[in-house]
Parts: sequence; structure tokens; C-alpha cells
Amino acid sequence: MTDGARLEGWVPEIGGAVSLEAVVDQAFDYRGNVTVVKTDGSETVGYLFNRNRDVPVPFVQMFDVNGAGPYTIPYREIRTIRFTGRDTAAGQSYAAWLRAKEAAKGALHAEKDSGRTPPRDA
Amino acid sequence: MSLPVSQMWAVASYVIKQKITGRKRYPLVLMLEPLFRCNLACAGCGKIQYPAQILRKHLTVEQCLAAVDECGAPVVSIPGGEPLMYPDIGPLVEALVARRKYVYLCTNAILLKEKLEAGLFTPSKYFSFSVHLDGLRAEHDEAVCRDGVYVQAVEGIKEALRRGFRVTTNSTLFDGVSPLKMREFFDEMMDLGVEGMMISPGYSYSKAPDQEHFLRTQRAHDLFSAILSNPKRRWRFNQSPLFLQFLMGKQDFECTPWGNPTYNVFGWQRPCYLLQEGYAASFTELLETTRWENYGRRSGNEKCRDCMVHCGYEPTAVHHTFASWRGFRDTVHATVTGRF
Repeated sequence: MTDGARLEGWVPEIGGAVSLEAVVDQAFDYRGNVTVVKTDGSETVGYLFNRNRDVPVPFVQMFDVNGAGPYTIPYREIRTIRFTGRDTAAGQSYAAWLRAKEAAKGALHAEKDSGRTPPRDA
Repeated sequence: MSLPVSQMWAVASYVIKQKITGRKRYPLVLMLEPLFRCNLACAGCGKIQYPAQILRKHLTVEQCLAAVDECGAPVVSIPGGEPLMYPDIGPLVEALVARRKYVYLCTNAILLKEKLEAGLFTPSKYFSFSVHLDGLRAEHDEAVCRDGVYVQAVEGIKEALRRGFRVTTNSTLFDGVSPLKMREFFDEMMDLGVEGMMISPGYSYSKAPDQEHFLRTQRAHDLFSAILSNPKRRWRFNQSPLFLQFLMGKQDFECTPWGNPTYNVFGWQRPCYLLQEGYAASFTELLETTRWENYGRRSGNEKCRDCMVHCGYEPTAVHHTFASWRGFRDTVHATVTGRF
């Protein structure tokens, strides 16, 4: 899984083919809220904006859903990360804009055509 | 080039000082993003796709000034998000000007007229509005995905100029742009009376809504050559002529990712304004712990392969000017003749 739209709703099981490091990387790249499930069973829901593995104690950082933080959580305390929030980068704003423009053009042409074409019974 | 002499002198003396002191990596322009919130959702922008609680966040003025002081760059650019939506933008600009930083407030100008009428800003040689315009009316409104924005921006520019502010424009170019239309756009901006223009190809943000129109290297060279090969004498650019030559394929530069460091609500962004590979808690940490060898076109990094964006290559162009007599000569020649 590499694309955000496909990550939305993903509940990875860490272990085997899915490593914690890979899931953290996906969460870091994901533009929606996630739920970090810790080894003690507690959960933090929010936006994971940073991760660093190049330090003696690798960690992630996040702001919770109220914007509080940043909270720093060591990798070793993470059981898994669930992709619970909507992916804000998966929107189709540009496609929607193009569709709206095309529809407006179509309506304009239809209006012009209806003005030019004399009624058959005229 | 249209930069005021005092600004050119400030940048030149800063660069020379860095060279004399033997500093290997130094910043030229701090990209200060006080917020990500924006009143537009442009097709080519990958900066604003965040959950609501992140979009509601913004830096305090104290955080901004601490970043400016730590970084030490002579120029501060304030992009975003839309900085005119930042509640403390007036006090922030005032404090930066008091520090004699050259400030570019990068805005879509939708709110510009309103903020000027509210008396939020005072004209200064240190302060310039950099208005985002990606072309003439039809082209710009399409780029920002909303009708009427070009007209609002032009009204804002006129009002700012009338009040004695420095005004520049910044334009991001994508595949499919008409060189002829861009030349008409340059004429239009000069007619308006802006101080200078800045142009750059767009970066292929993986999070941007439109993924089809980012320029690849050769296409970028062709496009910028078609636009700039026979420049009119009246066109003024607010950027290094060597960077414009680079866009045309006449200079072979490597990226200077630390040249325009970025600070925002997440911290100091690694490695540059465009890529988000993590955050450092301080500017010193950013400089010392980022693996710079992994970035730039020669690094082989796929994400850097087609990037020709100003924030990485304009610092290289400025460095090149002061690194050799040839670079200095090329810059002076392009500046005096107006040819690239």
C-alpha cells in the first residue's frame, strides 16, 4: 500500500511481512489522523507529523485531535497504528473544478444553441 | 534584476561574510510558514492537505521571531497557507522589519485590499508583498480553481502600489502553459507597475490535487527558453538572472536544499521547502543531522530528479555569483544587458 486513499481504514497487524517501521513510515506520509495504539493498551488519536529512526531511541511525534502536543512516543511503545481518519490529500478538488468548468461551458453552449435555433413551428 | 541596491548590498555582504568565515552551509531566505490554512485550494499545491486541527494551528509571533533569530538569513519569505489569514501578521511583519530583515509576504491577495484598508501594514524598503499570479485572468483562475481571483489580486496590487508598498509577483509554471500568454502576462504586470516578477516551475507535490501538469526537466528548459529567449527590456525580475538561465538550460546547477530552510508548526522541515522527510527541533539540528548527500539531482533521489524550483536553485545561483569571477561576470552581464 502506498497511496493514501488505500490506506484509509487500514488496521495493520504488525509482524511477519508488516514491520512497525514500515507502518510508521506510511503513517508519517498519510495526511489524515491516525490512532497510535501503545503497548500498554492506551491510544492516542491525532496527526503524526514526524518520525526519526536515526537516533538512539527512535520516536514519532504527533498532535492530538484537539491540536494539543506535540506528543513524542518512542517506537518501542507502539503496538500498531490504525489509519482511522480521512485522508485529506485524497480529495478530488481539481477534478471537481474541471467538471464544474465543463458543466458551465456545456450549459453556456446549450443556452446559446437554444437562442440561435428558431422554434420549428415559427 | 529589480532589487533595490540596499537589498542587493545586504545579501551580497552577508554571503561574502559567510565565505570569509568559511561557513559551508548557510541560509539565504527563511521560508516562514506561520500557518497552513488557506482560502484557496490550488490544483498544484500540496501544502494545505491536513486534518482540521492542524489547519487551525498557527505559530506565535515569538516562535516566528525565535526561528528568524536562530536562522540568521537576511531575507524572510512568509508563505503558507495564506499569511493574510494569520491573526498576527501585522505585528509579525513589523517585528521583522525592525530587525532589518527583507520580508516577502507571499499572498494570493484575496484579502489584500481589506487588510491594507484596515491599516495593518506600513510601507518600508524592507517589506514587499509577493502576489501569487500564475498568468493572465483565465490561466490564473484555472490554476487556483476559482473564478474572480485574478481580478481581486490585481485590485489588491493597485491598492498596495497606491499606498507606496513594494509589490512583486510570484508565478508557478506548469506543463501546458503558453509562452506567448506568459509574455503577455509579464507585459501586464509591468503595466501595473510591480517592482519585479519571480517565476519558477512547480514542484511535483505527491499530495497535490493535479498530478498531470508538473514539468519535467527538458520540458521546463523548452518552456522557459521560449518565454525568456528574447526578453523585453521593460521586464524586471526579482530574482537572480543566473537562476533564469538555469531554467532555460544554460546553467548546470545542483540544488542547495539548506539555502531556503523552512520553519512551520511542525518545526524545521527536512530537507527543504518542498520535501517533508521529517522535522528538527532547531535550525542547528536541521543543519547538522540532515543527510544532505541524499538530496539534489546528482544524489539520484527520485523526488529531486525533475525539481528545478527556486527554493533549491536560486541559492545556488547566488552562491555561484560570489564563488568565481565568471559567476560574477555572468550575473553583471545579464543584469546590465537584460538578456539571459
